[in-house]
Amino acid sequence: MPKVTRFIPILENLLFFWLGFALILSFAGDQLEIPALLQVLGRAHPLILHFPIVLLLMAVGLFWVKDEKLREIGTWILLLGANLTGITVLAGLLLANEGYDGDMLIWHQWLGVASLALATLIYFYRDKSSKFLRISTGALALAIILTGHFGADLTHGEDFLLAPIQSQEVEFVALEDAEVFQHLVKPILEAKCIACHKEGKVKGELRMDDLAGLQKGGKNGPFVVPGDLKESLLIQRIHLPEDSDEHMPPKNKAQLTDEEMEILQLWVESGSSFELKVTELKSDEPLFQLASNKFSNQRPYTFDPASDSDIQELNNFFRKVNPVFPGSPALQVAYYGTSAFDPASLKDLKKVNEQVVKINLNRMPLESVDLSFLREFPNLEELQLNFTGVTPSQLTNLEGLENLRNLAISGNKLGPEAVTVLGKLTQIKKLFLWNSGLEESAKEDLKKALGSAQIDFGFDGKGIVYALNPPKISFEKDVFQDSMEVILSHPIKTAEIRYTWDSSEPDSVNSPLYRGPIWVKQTGEIKAKAFAADWKGSLTVSNSIFKAGVIPRSYNLAFEPNKKYSAKGAASLFDGVKGNTTQTTSNWLGFTDTPLEIEMVLSDIASPKELSLSILLDEIAYIFPPEKVEIWTDNGNGWQRLPNLPVIQSSKLEAGRLGVLSFPLPESTFEKVKIRISPISKLPAWHPGAGAKGWVFVDELLLN
Amino acid sequence: MEKEILEQGLNHNRRKFLSRLSLGIGSVALGSLLVPDLFSGKQESEDALMRALPHFAPKAKRIIYLFQNGAPSQLETFDYKPLLTKNFGQELPESIRAGQRLTGMTSGQSSFPLVGSYFGFNQYGESRAWISSLFPHISSVVDDLLIVKSMHTEAINHDPALTFFQTGAQVGNRPSMGSWLSYGLGSENANLPAFCVLLSRGKGNGQGVYSKLWSNGFLDATHQGVQFSNSEDPVLYLKDPNGMSRDQRRKMIDQIASMNELNYQEFNDPQITAKVQQYEMAYRMQTAVPEITDTSKEPDSIVKLYGSDCLVPGTYAANCLLARKLSENGVRFVQLYHQGWDAHGDLPNQMTGQAKDVDQATAGLITDLKQRGLLDETLIIWGGEFGRTNYCQGKILPDNYGRDHHPRAFSIFMAGGGVKSGMVYGETDDFGYNITENPVHVHDFQATVMHLMGIDHEKLIYKHLGRRYRLTDVHGKVVKDLIA
Repeated sequence: MPKVTRFIPILENLLFFWLGFALILSFAGDQLEIPALLQVLGRAHPLILHFPIVLLLMAVGLFWVKDEKLREIGTWILLLGANLTGITVLAGLLLANEGYDGDMLIWHQWLGVASLALATLIYFYRDKSSKFLRISTGALALAIILTGHFGADLTHGEDFLLAPIQSQEVEFVALEDAEVFQHLVKPILEAKCIACHKEGKVKGELRMDDLAGLQKGGKNGPFVVPGDLKESLLIQRIHLPEDSDEHMPPKNKAQLTDEEMEILQLWVESGSSFELKVTELKSDEPLFQLASNKFSNQRPYTFDPASDSDIQELNNFFRKVNPVFPGSPALQVAYYGTSAFDPASLKDLKKVNEQVVKINLNRMPLESVDLSFLREFPNLEELQLNFTGVTPSQLTNLEGLENLRNLAISGNKLGPEAVTVLGKLTQIKKLFLWNSGLEESAKEDLKKALGSAQIDFGFDGKGIVYALNPPKISFEKDVFQDSMEVILSHPIKTAEIRYTWDSSEPDSVNSPLYRGPIWVKQTGEIKAKAFAADWKGSLTVSNSIFKAGVIPRSYNLAFEPNKKYSAKGAASLFDGVKGNTTQTTSNWLGFTDTPLEIEMVLSDIASPKELSLSILLDEIAYIFPPEKVEIWTDNGNGWQRLPNLPVIQSSKLEAGRLGVLSFPLPESTFEKVKIRISPISKLPAWHPGAGAKGWVFVDELLLN
Repeated sequence: MEKEILEQGLNHNRRKFLSRLSLGIGSVALGSLLVPDLFSGKQESEDALMRALPHFAPKAKRIIYLFQNGAPSQLETFDYKPLLTKNFGQELPESIRAGQRLTGMTSGQSSFPLVGSYFGFNQYGESRAWISSLFPHISSVVDDLLIVKSMHTEAINHDPALTFFQTGAQVGNRPSMGSWLSYGLGSENANLPAFCVLLSRGKGNGQGVYSKLWSNGFLDATHQGVQFSNSEDPVLYLKDPNGMSRDQRRKMIDQIASMNELNYQEFNDPQITAKVQQYEMAYRMQTAVPEITDTSKEPDSIVKLYGSDCLVPGTYAANCLLARKLSENGVRFVQLYHQGWDAHGDLPNQMTGQAKDVDQATAGLITDLKQRGLLDETLIIWGGEFGRTNYCQGKILPDNYGRDHHPRAFSIFMAGGGVKSGMVYGETDDFGYNITENPVHVHDFQATVMHLMGIDHEKLIYKHLGRRYRLTDVHGKVVKDLIA
């Protein structure tokens, strides 16, 4: 103990030293030349200031306790704290010369000095009276807290402390109101720069908190030079390496994001105007693009949200009422289900008339429904009335809706009087008027009346001629017994269908017109084609239809079909069940290494006049017409070969389809007939598999 | 002295310990207030949903996803590479392939000859985007399109690639994109499912689609995609049987519901509730669906706009028309699949057919939504599961060749619903093999689509089997450049 007490007089004396020094610096601050070494001390101010705050407050606390021992400790702490206050005040006064200015600094400075003086006073008069002690220590505590608060404001900016509990409402800026400087650039400066460049803390003699300061620039030069990135210090400084002393914002402070840097740069490039509006930019300029991301087309909603119970009540299976996004006071309404529509239910919406910004009534029958209720929706922005049968007179109700921007009334037949009514809706930005039956001249008048609005008249198809899709040929079975009904149809009711049986192309004049079901009695191929006004004729479709043949008494395949495509063996050829083009395993007999050779015994049956083969063609899958077809007949005197039978070979790659090969048989009677169908032995040169063996696929053999 | 210390220590008995601890527990409790779901554990689903919905208006309300199943070639559609025509038949440089794995279908090829597009390209619209002659109608609406030429994926075979695109994982059984959106946003129209699936098939080489692609995965069964039939009756067995009145049907459903309720009380299986809800939905669909599927009231110009095939049930064009009708009636997510793009061989022929199927109807759908004022709130997506190789598979001829699967770069396009229009995004090298600019991974694409719908893909999660799942797994970045 005794050793420490030696220092007490020194510390006591030092108090007056600090006080004197502080007063001199306070009054003569402006004229000071501060050596570099002392600048370092000055910059230590934010570091050391925490010690005296803690010590002095602790001392105040101990003085308030009625305990002699503790009060003695308090005295010690007070002495130490007062000295550290002195150092802190001095450091602060030195730092104040580095570009701090303004009211806030003055308050901070003098409260700091006052704290030092008070602490000194209390130290020396601590035994005076307890009343004095209470008042003076209270004043000291208050002075410390206020000094600290103003100091913090100097460093972090005003309102730093209370910002988190202050109103969080972000200012909502509509794109059309947004200004480049005010709403894009300034927020960045405010967030990242202004804390050090403002009234009270004008670092580098640059003030960013008012326009004059920005236009004036700082001690190193102009803040921005319009259009010149290199000469603008703003751009220079933000692009210096972060380690550089000149880099802004200084290292360890919040840095600019890439987007913020880009905005600043684009702003300078565009001429660093302080008044330019975003909408004055061209839409392909990057700055516009950036801005359009930031500012919505939505205006801020100032009305109160509707109550949850009201919203819930309005919702049912046929009407959806919900906020445009969670938390938004604005509501959107949609009606669904034409047959369930009850016009009276529209009146329910009055409960939320202020909040509704969007109504979708598409396809609801609104003819002769009173739409005057819409007048009471002052915030309505979008109204969809497509295919509702609304008339111009109903639309007059929209005139007073100042916020209405989008109106969709496609699919409603409107007369020329609509132009007058719609022409008055000048608040509208987008109008959808497809399929409205308006004459060209009326459209032009409307365009003139609505000036800047975007009007979509949609696609009317006039003058454009596309090909129809082909008609559909339907019948019950590919192979019929005596006769069968064939029905041709086309999805377009007005289309005409023409057809032929003689393998010629149907034309729109001479070929028979389809009027109703056709009865067929013979094997043949029907070709059909659809025609309609305003359309090109469709592609031709065809179908082969087979009259069931006589079934031979016995038959015998010389070679088994390929194992993969053997269906039910030779019986498949006579079962009257056709295969299809996509599924080749169930009804088709496939041959590649061996020919299809079949011998049929007909005795006791009238000799057939024609032999038909139903085949599959699919060049892509190596399935070709046969290379050779040979037929023999036997009337009891041995096999007689018929003359060579021509087969038309494929000449290009095509996807799977069905085909028929028919061959006449001799007029004379015979008991047995044999046919040999050889698959193509070498695929032609144009085929991707040129030279390989081809296939033959047959699903039916018909003798008629 | 030592004794005193010992006694002091002994005074720390259990009571004291606990009384001191109580303050500690208090501080933990206080601290936990700052960690919202630290102790809430189970009751997270609804809160999680709310957290995933950012507080700004979504750009798109609905999606129509025109999935081109089998993977259309980017080199014959949107990614114009004259070098491939110039270097026809020359070997793909190893420096470009750089060890890219190949499918088993071409890994055995001794040579990888480059092959250029059989179809000519032209520039269209204000964006001067290159589009091939396969798409005359699509190129006429190019100013409404956002073409992304820098898509890439991880899978190289159809099924995993398709599953990856639709569910965010290559293995099956995760919820599909539409299911996630149904889960996150619910249904707009209570009389229709939030997620509908329409299938069609072109004549080209096809690849299957399976119901796992529209599976609800571990989400509630009500979020499952409802597959419409491609016959005259898009929803089968919708009509009441002859002689059954609407009242009788109502009574029947109520009876079943009460029985299901008993079952639910006993087993507490949420699938039972889902089933009850689906019965109710089906009951309402009985009136809602016929209204929507009836094409007889469509104006003549609509038939011309989509092409006359749009009246033939089961075609792509008919599905596009139906998709528009479903979408305008509030169906959140309409998923189309058009099969037949897997042109390993005979590509020029197959692609001609496929393009003919989709060109007019796709462009028609965009125009149709636009003229009704609905394009702004409907996002249209067109694209396959990966791209196709710049080298030929099989025999090479200038007018007949094939292309294998290529995951490293491919093109898709989007329109409406808050994406930029008249823009081409991303670039590939002169060989069309690698991305050189602005790559967009499948997860990025998914994240962006969710963002457009007003969902934060990182926050729409579902806890299942002890793990939190999301559509983008642990990946995905919203591509802001694509958003208008």
